[in-house]
Amino acid sequence: MRNQRKRVLGGVTAGALALTLGACSADGGTTDGEDGVDAADLESGMDGAMEDYGVGDTFVATEPVSISLLYRDHPNYPLDEDWLFFEHIEEQSNVTFDITTAPLSDYEQRRSLLIGAGDAPDVISVVYPGQEAQFVASGAILPLSDYVDLMPHFQDKVERWDLQDELETLRQEDGKFYMLPGLYEQLRYDYTVALRTDVLDELGLEEPGTWDEFRDVLQAIKDDRGGSYVFSDRWQGNALLNVASAQFGTIAGWGFGQGVVFDEDAGEYRYAGATDEYREMVEYFAGLVEDGLMDPESFTQEDDQAFAKLANEQSYAITTNAQELLGNRTTLETSLGAGNFELDKIRVPAGPEGDVMRGMRIENGFMVSSAAAEKPNFVATLQFLDWLFYSDEGLEFARWGVEGETFEREGDTRVLAEDVEFLGQNEGAPQHLQNDFGFFNGVFSLAHGSTRDLVLTHIPEEEVQWQEAMSDKEMLPPGPPWPMNEMEREQASLYQTALVDYTNQNTLAFITGQRSLDEWDAYVAELEGQNMTAYEELVNGAYQRYQENNA
Amino acid sequence: MVTTAPTRLSDRLSRPSAAARGVRDTRGYRVFTAVNVLVLVLVMAVTLYPFVNILAQSFSSEGFITAGQVNLVPRGFNVETYQTVMADRMFWRNYQNTLVYTVVATAIAMVLTTTFAYAISKRHLRGRSLFIGIAVFTMFFNGGLIPNYVLINTLGFKNTIWAIVLPNAISVFNLLVMKAFFENLPAELEEAAAIDGLDTYRTLLRIVLPLSKAVIATMILFYAVSFWNSWFPAFLYMDRAELYPVTVYLRNLIAGATTATSVGGGGADAMTQVAANIQSVTMVLTVLPIVCLYPFIQKYFVSGVMLGAVKG
Repeated sequence: MRNQRKRVLGGVTAGALALTLGACSADGGTTDGEDGVDAADLESGMDGAMEDYGVGDTFVATEPVSISLLYRDHPNYPLDEDWLFFEHIEEQSNVTFDITTAPLSDYEQRRSLLIGAGDAPDVISVVYPGQEAQFVASGAILPLSDYVDLMPHFQDKVERWDLQDELETLRQEDGKFYMLPGLYEQLRYDYTVALRTDVLDELGLEEPGTWDEFRDVLQAIKDDRGGSYVFSDRWQGNALLNVASAQFGTIAGWGFGQGVVFDEDAGEYRYAGATDEYREMVEYFAGLVEDGLMDPESFTQEDDQAFAKLANEQSYAITTNAQELLGNRTTLETSLGAGNFELDKIRVPAGPEGDVMRGMRIENGFMVSSAAAEKPNFVATLQFLDWLFYSDEGLEFARWGVEGETFEREGDTRVLAEDVEFLGQNEGAPQHLQNDFGFFNGVFSLAHGSTRDLVLTHIPEEEVQWQEAMSDKEMLPPGPPWPMNEMEREQASLYQTALVDYTNQNTLAFITGQRSLDEWDAYVAELEGQNMTAYEELVNGAYQRYQENNA
Repeated sequence: MVTTAPTRLSDRLSRPSAAARGVRDTRGYRVFTAVNVLVLVLVMAVTLYPFVNILAQSFSSEGFITAGQVNLVPRGFNVETYQTVMADRMFWRNYQNTLVYTVVATAIAMVLTTTFAYAISKRHLRGRSLFIGIAVFTMFFNGGLIPNYVLINTLGFKNTIWAIVLPNAISVFNLLVMKAFFENLPAELEEAAAIDGLDTYRTLLRIVLPLSKAVIATMILFYAVSFWNSWFPAFLYMDRAELYPVTVYLRNLIAGATTATSVGGGGADAMTQVAANIQSVTMVLTVLPIVCLYPFIQKYFVSGVMLGAVKG
């Protein structure tokens, strides 16, 4: 009953429920603190669990186990409960799923609702790092860090791949983490600029190694081809700024997030939008626009317009990723004809900060409902998740399927079975790895397969080469955690929304030349007026408190 | 008894224009007409363009769509996508759900709204303002998402049609329009019916409803369109894809096409993409029935709502 009430009250939607939330976290906080792996608790949760489960073991439930799961239904491979994926798991591990689906389109809202209403399934899939924070205060989700000793493969991977720093960033105010992420052995970069390399060859230009050289290349194309610009970007420039910001030592675009970067020298967080590094990046792109190299509409237009400009040879460069590159090429084929162009990803150029990238080797993962801890199959559930998401065997299974049915092994490499189509391999085959078998499913296959070997499978040779080229990039360390409590989070999000909006607007204005960069100091002063210092203090307060309590 | 025939739009249109009657339109009037026509044509173009564009896209090949070369006429004509979408079992399943949900929900909504509106249109009803107050209250206040969910769940409506057709059965706006309409029916008719021995129910069925076809048609249209378009209750209360209406299917399809590309490192899903073409095909198939329904009911539309709302 106590639990029921807590969960029902533990509202998730903000606003109207703020009051109840406050009341709830106050009495929920104390009980949470006492959580932990209690032998007595687990005793009753041992149904189906393996007594002896360690690294390298395949999980096989000792009696049939049913796991309730919140499943994100992707329209590209709609759920089919007859998939080989489910059949094989039932056969091999004695595990079945009791699935609640939610459409991809509004997955997060449904998830919040179910958790808020106390009706969430035991396992909540597809949770991105950071999304779990809003549910912590309600007590509706389990602090999984208390239970990782039941998950040997997870611990093994974290240990061997040296992921402790990344996991640190998941810790909440109480020092625990409430989600388990997908793990990468090696970061997989994907986004970069694609250039018309045939034009480069024609003009005798080398692939640019730095952002300055990138400018020179654009200039050379412009000198030759004319036009009012040669680079028109998509994603409103967010992907480009996200990638480039690392080499300028800051964050921007999609990666702007909460807008703070850790200043190693000062040992504190600063609001990124006001830093000199951010200014330098803005100046660089403003220069491109001013010199007529970059289309000012790059930051406002729809993606389709950018494609059209690429197709009509008004532009010769576009930000892309491995998947989108194929689409870009199809577009070009329609307008220019196959063989009349080459469009390739370039190695992300180096910048003032060096040849660096920013990124985290953790991906979306899952949460477990608090209610699950009271169920008889709790331990078996965790053991199974550990096997599926973190064991080499489980990772391969989720990505490739079953040997002899969906793929064959030829020496060290895996080859799709002849009648299975996937990503341009065996095109026209009657069955599809995702649609007809349920493998390589975003819900069950975390982090593209996690291990370097699996991540690079199914990937065209050119992409493997690009990955190789990128692999000697230096990685900037993630900042230390600064978990906030409920009140602080509310306050911070008020500050943050205004600040981030203002920074985005002005970044756009500066780059497109609507606002002169001479006004940078005025802009910083305006940020000040938007409570920038108060926000920084809030973040640094949370950071320091965490250091004191958990260092 | 004196009755005045209402002027019909068609009567007015068939009346000879001022010029034909031998009177010259004033210059001002002609300028006004020209501007009027121009503005209305523009409005029509703006309204129709996206629709025709989607229609053209649905028949075009993908290369032309991504290159942004499809406007009003299909390019690279193809009907393959129609065949693909129509071959999807789940699409038809959800389409069927939409039909069932819409028909059942509209029927329930009409019965409840009509009877409620008729009752509260009677000034002699004791506690009338309380009943109206209760209805109007829900226009401004509601329990909120989570309490509603808990309620529906506890009632056992989750994953059943009732979760969709019952909670929104009375739209207060429609209720008030209908109430105003009933209030304006001549009381003498009902008095005569009473003298002839009809009780309340038979008065409603035999006298009032046959006189209210316009407002009933309008209400059916209002309800049917809103249930046809609705996706939120189904999304909230349905746990399985085979229970979704086609709107959720469509919404998910579009989201699949956009998130695959726009969310940074969109996970394993980034590797596949639903073509823009499929979206437009599904959109066309989804709106088609309602678009077909509109012209037939529309003639009741203006008179129905006007009679209720303005005359009072």
